[in-house]
Amino acid sequence: MSTVAQRLDDVVDEFVDLDGREKLEMLLEYAATLPPLPAGCAGLDENRVHECQSPVFIQVELRPTDAGQPGVFLLAEVAEEAPTVKGFVAMLAQAFAGRPTDEVLAVDDTLLDRLGLADVLGMLRTRGLRAIIEYVKRGVVRQLTASRG
Amino acid sequence: MASYANENVLVSTEWVANVAANPEAHPNVRIVESDEDRALYTQGHVPGAVEIDWQVDLQDATWRDYIDRAAFEDLCRRKGISNDTTVVFYGDKSNWWACYAFWTFKLYGHADCRIMDGGRKKWALEGRPWSTDRVDPAPGTYTATEQDMSIRALRDEVLKHQKAGKPLIDVRSPEEYSGARLHMPDYPNEGSLRGGHIPGAISIPWPLSVNEDGSFKSAKELEKLYLKEGKLRRRAATVAYCRIGERSSLTWFVLKYLLGFTNVKNYDGSWLEWGNAVRMPIVKGTTPHGSPAE
Repeated sequence: MSTVAQRLDDVVDEFVDLDGREKLEMLLEYAATLPPLPAGCAGLDENRVHECQSPVFIQVELRPTDAGQPGVFLLAEVAEEAPTVKGFVAMLAQAFAGRPTDEVLAVDDTLLDRLGLADVLGMLRTRGLRAIIEYVKRGVVRQLTASRG
Repeated sequence: MASYANENVLVSTEWVANVAANPEAHPNVRIVESDEDRALYTQGHVPGAVEIDWQVDLQDATWRDYIDRAAFEDLCRRKGISNDTTVVFYGDKSNWWACYAFWTFKLYGHADCRIMDGGRKKWALEGRPWSTDRVDPAPGTYTATEQDMSIRALRDEVLKHQKAGKPLIDVRSPEEYSGARLHMPDYPNEGSLRGGHIPGAISIPWPLSVNEDGSFKSAKELEKLYLKEGKLRRRAATVAYCRIGERSSLTWFVLKYLLGFTNVKNYDGSWLEWGNAVRMPIVKGTTPHGSPAE
């Protein structure tokens, strides 16, 4: 099974030769893959973020895996009105799925530059996506702290 | 007054649908989508519409400012817009960014700008068609004017305006106005170091100007909100602000074009500048001059 770094390298390879429009189309394809939240998870209804920011709900879970160490899984819901964010979150969810926490914590914020999204999205939106990576990493740390109790 | 001050500045979805269905009959009309999320245009736009993005197209990448006059002229040419083109803006979020783009076009003196009332939301609610075609219009010819500073307020001017006790409108949410919150903890945001509002600014959140379907409220309802309840006056120098100047460009549009205010400016630096700059006066609380009990 490939590591987070390998999976993200593959994504970067996918993006690197695309023009701006095709990059947005690729994000839309990812957005379509984000699974709905499981029943009982309140998601955006109770956690809708404030206006003027991306309507996004992300919950980090650590679950046991065959490899013997806990794997990272993202539960996420993103409003339909924010397909760019939805695509990006879906991409992260796929790249992180089931992988150990240290691999997720090692993801650095050069990912956005490598994907070449800054020219397409502009500085503020790119910062928003970078903040999502940080948000997920903080979630991982919180889960680790909680599990060590 | 039972009707908008400028009746022509709003066009209906029906009107735009007719243009979209018969573009050759309307060679002088360019439909422009402006969104918070660019992928929405990619996902589907009004047939024939071009996209102008507030960050990538309208803002300078180096300076914190709008693109300069030459870059604006070049943008218009590329988007198939000439000086005499009727430019119809629409977008997501009840036309925030459409109003922002409209305002930027007015900043460079474009004569004929319109807003499609209701934006993407109303178009979708009415089941009108979306297109994913790439739109590549024939280049326009364009000469812009210098920036029209009668619609744009910069920080020092806002400070003088505030000190003189002139009308200021804060169009952000009540929580942002009171300083109760800058943003949700841990979530991405543009970031301000201080919360609250400019002393003396009244709170009229932007959503009060629009209906559920994204269209603007009637002239009568808007008059009640801004003139009767807000006690604003059409001829008084008035400044609107929000966090980054997009929600306040919607309020600016409402005041100037729908209610006929003669001297209203958008403070595009807004809270992202004010709440981060040194020594700017700020009050917290739910009243214009701040409430002692927090």
